[in-house]
Amino acid sequence: MDDQSCPRCKTTKYRNPSLKLMVNVCGHTLCESCVEMLFVRGSGNCVQCDTPLRKSNFRVQLFEDPAVDKEVEIRKKVLKIYNKRETDFPNLRQYNDYLEQVEEIVFNLTNNIDVENTKRLMEHYQRENRDIIQRNKAKLTREQEELEELLMLEQKETEQRRLDTLQEEQRQLLAKKKKKQALLDELESSRLPAMLLLAQHKDRAAQLETQIEIQRQVVKPTIFSTGIPMGQTISLQPVVQMEEVLYRYQPLRINTYGPPVPEFEQLGRLGYLTHVRAASPQDMAGGYSSALACHRALQDAFSGVFPLQH
Amino acid sequence: MQKKRKNKQSVMYHNSSQKKFWTFSSEEHLEQLRYEANQRLRAKVLGSARDLTAFSESLFLDPLEEAVLFRHYERRLLDFCTNFKPVMPKSVVGTANMYFRRFYVNNSLMEYHPRIIMLTCAYLACKVDEFNVSSSQFVGNLQETSAGQEKALEQILEYELLLIQQLNFHLVVHNPYRPMEGFLIDLKTRYLTLENPEMLRKTADDFLNRAMLTDVGLLFSPSQIALTAVLNSASRAGINMESYLTECLGLKEDKETLSKMIDSMKRIKTLLKKYEPPNPEEVSTYKQKLERIHTEFIINTNSKRKRGYEDDDHVTKEHPVAEEEEWTDEDLECLRS
Repeated sequence: MDDQSCPRCKTTKYRNPSLKLMVNVCGHTLCESCVEMLFVRGSGNCVQCDTPLRKSNFRVQLFEDPAVDKEVEIRKKVLKIYNKRETDFPNLRQYNDYLEQVEEIVFNLTNNIDVENTKRLMEHYQRENRDIIQRNKAKLTREQEELEELLMLEQKETEQRRLDTLQEEQRQLLAKKKKKQALLDELESSRLPAMLLLAQHKDRAAQLETQIEIQRQVVKPTIFSTGIPMGQTISLQPVVQMEEVLYRYQPLRINTYGPPVPEFEQLGRLGYLTHVRAASPQDMAGGYSSALACHRALQDAFSGVFPLQH
Repeated sequence: MQKKRKNKQSVMYHNSSQKKFWTFSSEEHLEQLRYEANQRLRAKVLGSARDLTAFSESLFLDPLEEAVLFRHYERRLLDFCTNFKPVMPKSVVGTANMYFRRFYVNNSLMEYHPRIIMLTCAYLACKVDEFNVSSSQFVGNLQETSAGQEKALEQILEYELLLIQQLNFHLVVHNPYRPMEGFLIDLKTRYLTLENPEMLRKTADDFLNRAMLTDVGLLFSPSQIALTAVLNSASRAGINMESYLTECLGLKEDKETLSKMIDSMKRIKTLLKKYEPPNPEEVSTYKQKLERIHTEFIINTNSKRKRGYEDDDHVTKEHPVAEEEEWTDEDLECLRS
């Protein structure tokens, strides 16, 4: 512990028990007050290795060796990009190679080996696999949510169960007490011999006990852990198919009283666009294209050109 | 983008209010409507007049006289528009002219003075066609004192709502200018027999300008008018373009449509040929009559409607529209073959 000290102000944990060491992406430490002082403007350079840093990237040092902190940070970042799963690979061998590659990258970045090349490699990979990365990310968050939901459900259930048993115990206790009282009352007022009464009482107590036992057995299992209620017979018959007329898309037909206008997408191919003024970059910024004006003119020209029925 | 284009579909001529409500079947129908408007006004004046002796039948304008005056004011409207600063786009002029025409299909000149309606039409067209001028800028184009301009503005604003209502709120006007561009593009792309379609533009433009002075806008679709303009321009240059109709517009098989189209093109040309500019003498006599009716109308019916403002000559007349009366039969030849 005694070697934990800020490299800049040389404060140690011994001299300042509330010392908090912070680590940034480069893996060098600074104490909290030094961070506050040096990074007032939000960014600056590392005291030891001169790497440009941001204040917001400082984390409290969690491990004794700041390099581990650095690695954790880097790993987090790398895994955000390299988030393929085993199912994304045809065989285990390739998956293992992939994992190996990830480890290689993390190691390189942590120990400043061949950083430029590694970064390039990562960027390249990210570009190539953008779709998969996006998909897996979405999947991950979805799974996370599902998991959380499941956990919450479980928690709720245990809580409910705890409450149930508590109530049950309370009730049993109450019943026993009542019984005892009844026995006392009977002993006091009845003329029957005490022995008999005692025997009767024991009998009744035993009965109660079995009753409770039965009840407990009845109450206990209602649903499987999968959430499917117990005792429900799952029908294996195929679901009856609904016979309905399918919706069929009817393209909109408008009588334009004129010859057909060439399709908007075809204007360029048919050579129409060579006969209109080309759109300047300023025009295009607003979403204009020369095809729009051309198409409009053609539509206007052909609309209603044939004689109208009166 | 897909959506955008869909919206465009819905604003096109074939499902427009112009096709539904403002494209009439025949000239006779239009004449009938104008005649009815004329009769309505007579009945209205006679019905509400306190002193019947002040009115005799000869006081009113008959529909023919109204038509002459209408043509006169229409020219004034076009003059006003062509001399407008900043320069008015063609579609705005076309829209204004169409409003003016539509308005007097169901109304008599004797009821609403064309002088003010014409300005209101131009003003409304500027707004609808997104030609952005302020109201003061607009009346600044009148050759008037600033007091006169203010008065004109007041009247424009007063009549604007009436105009919109009389147009039945159908404010979108489809002009033949864009269709013409479309045809030129199509000619350049598909009709390669024609070497330089661009040379047709000038005569076609002229044709459209003259078409504006007639009822064709109320009788035919803008694309038909544009096509006629293009084909007519070609025939004047000695080119027969019927093969364009058969090959490119796909009318080879459909002889019936083809003949109908040629027929309507002929009708458009006849209408253009029939146009005669208003005779200045007639105009001045009818104008006096019109002024008298408006004065009498106001005195006798105690109508709150204000008169159009005093001077008739507030519109610049520096550059009258080029007149081309020479319009020979050879235009028709191209389609007769």
